[in-house]
Amino acid sequence: MIKFGPGNLRIPRFEKPVYVVAGGMTDFRKQYWEKNSCQLCTEALRMAVEENDLKIDPEQFRRSVNWVVYSQFADHFGDQLLAAAKVHDYLGFDPLGNIEVKTGGATGGSSVLAAAQAVASGYANCVPVVGWERMDDVSTKVGNSYIASAACKDFESELGWMYAAYYALMAQRYQYENNVPHEALAKIACKNHLYAYYSPFSQSPGKYTVDDILNNEIVSDPLTYLECCAMSVGASVIILCDEEMAYKLSDQPILLKAICGGTHTLRTADRRHMPILLLPNETEETYKDYFSGTRQDWPGFSSFLASRMAAYLAYNMAGIKDPVEDFDLLETHDAFTISDVQTYEDIGLRPYGRGREFIESGEAYIDGKLPTNLSGGLIGTMHAVGATGIFQMVEIMWQLQGKYDRFHGDPKMWERVGKKKPDDWKSLQLKNPKRGCAISHAGTGSHVTCAILEMP
Amino acid sequence: MAIEWPTTCLEVIKDDPFVIKNPKTWYHSHSYGGWGKFFKGLREQKLLATRCTNPKCSEKRLWLPPRSECPDCWHPMKWAEAPQQGTIYTHSVVKYPGELFKLPPDTPLISLEIEGVCTKLMSWLKEGTPEFGMPVKAVFNTKKPTNTILDLAWIPA
Repeated sequence: MIKFGPGNLRIPRFEKPVYVVAGGMTDFRKQYWEKNSCQLCTEALRMAVEENDLKIDPEQFRRSVNWVVYSQFADHFGDQLLAAAKVHDYLGFDPLGNIEVKTGGATGGSSVLAAAQAVASGYANCVPVVGWERMDDVSTKVGNSYIASAACKDFESELGWMYAAYYALMAQRYQYENNVPHEALAKIACKNHLYAYYSPFSQSPGKYTVDDILNNEIVSDPLTYLECCAMSVGASVIILCDEEMAYKLSDQPILLKAICGGTHTLRTADRRHMPILLLPNETEETYKDYFSGTRQDWPGFSSFLASRMAAYLAYNMAGIKDPVEDFDLLETHDAFTISDVQTYEDIGLRPYGRGREFIESGEAYIDGKLPTNLSGGLIGTMHAVGATGIFQMVEIMWQLQGKYDRFHGDPKMWERVGKKKPDDWKSLQLKNPKRGCAISHAGTGSHVTCAILEMP
Repeated sequence: MAIEWPTTCLEVIKDDPFVIKNPKTWYHSHSYGGWGKFFKGLREQKLLATRCTNPKCSEKRLWLPPRSECPDCWHPMKWAEAPQQGTIYTHSVVKYPGELFKLPPDTPLISLEIEGVCTKLMSWLKEGTPEFGMPVKAVFNTKKPTNTILDLAWIPA
């Protein structure tokens, strides 16, 4: 779909407002043999129900649920088809209806979208979204091969059996077109590993310098290990409600103002040239001089049309005029440093070709204009794929509710996962944030969702 | 009659938590379906692409990888040979490939611009060091084909 008709760009709307009221998660690890997937999901759900100041007890909550959405990326990894049926049973939700959603790395975002559609239409009014991934059944090398089977197996997977390589091809082209120094990419990795340092849930925390990132071993030229997310195991849960149920359950429900999805070809090869789809903060003037020199086409290899499409719909649905001005925090799907810079442009933080300015200006940091991935993101904290998009929205919800410190700063939270709270821990709680945005992203941009959460 | 206990034991990797090894040794049959002609064409040193023939379809682009049906009008496409020369659009060297990779680590991966083709085919460079815009020509693995996309590679033109 490259030539849009009026129906293609229809702005979605909810018939009823949708809220998120509670969230929970496990910590995330490369290997989590101590607990099976059913246990991880139960732990995340229990935390959501018991530790989010809900005004009803857990048993009353169970009696309020009327639909459940499950979020798991890869049956290959878990080696259990219909895993959702098993988790649903272990969570004690039978015989309520459920659905399992799969859209690669964006599975979490798409699952929340599916739950929001159920609530917005009136089909259901209390919907837990339960996401998890178990990537520790196989070696890292086999795991990479499994993930690469989410590229086109006929024409692309054989070329590396390694997703980082497909992103590296984009990274090289992006840098060639936009002359971005590798240092700019490395700063994103530094920031997200650092923010993960303050989270008890994180898998890859660390205080790294730009040189540490650049001198780290290369996975696929130019990306180094520290610029890529790791295989991850864990679970997360978020609970969606309509307005009446939201206020029955919570004194601090957060409005899910918009969540929209876009797609693009599974193969990067097949991305045809088209005019740039403009966001509300862009005009044709913005791109007057864009196509020149090394930049001959859009989206090409340096932009994600799926992200642009999702942002276009969500911004128009939520009335966002300028994302940097209108959002107080952002969670991006930083699976690789390069995809983060690309996303800055796709969602309009900077015009195409100028994404590096967002990190270099300092705006993406805790004291900047639009703090990004305070959770530690994928590079620092987790990418247990089915849990990821949900985790992002839980972290934003807690920030909007002013609960960052409770979930990240309580020494008991660290002890629960067998860690000691660092002596130099610091709070990343923002002062009165009003609105946050989360980007959930699959493949080399095959599916992307854009969610906007705000104070009611 | 009592049934005997199974004789196949699964190896214990770890006792606590209790972790077992679950081996799998079967294969999947994979049909290329309507795209099989492309893969068989590689053996004959042909680079086969497809183009839409529906007179009502506004798009007449040459698709490589080929598609059996046009994504713009859903009608069958017609096979046509694509040029065997192109330029390097982007490249990377994969240091840590995943399991199943049939080439050595450090193999340069490339994406190609081919005149008249609407896509940027992903492939690999068999000789030389990749550079942006570098002219390359196709070479084919005809002696002992893998029967995969790896039977097509490129060398400096």
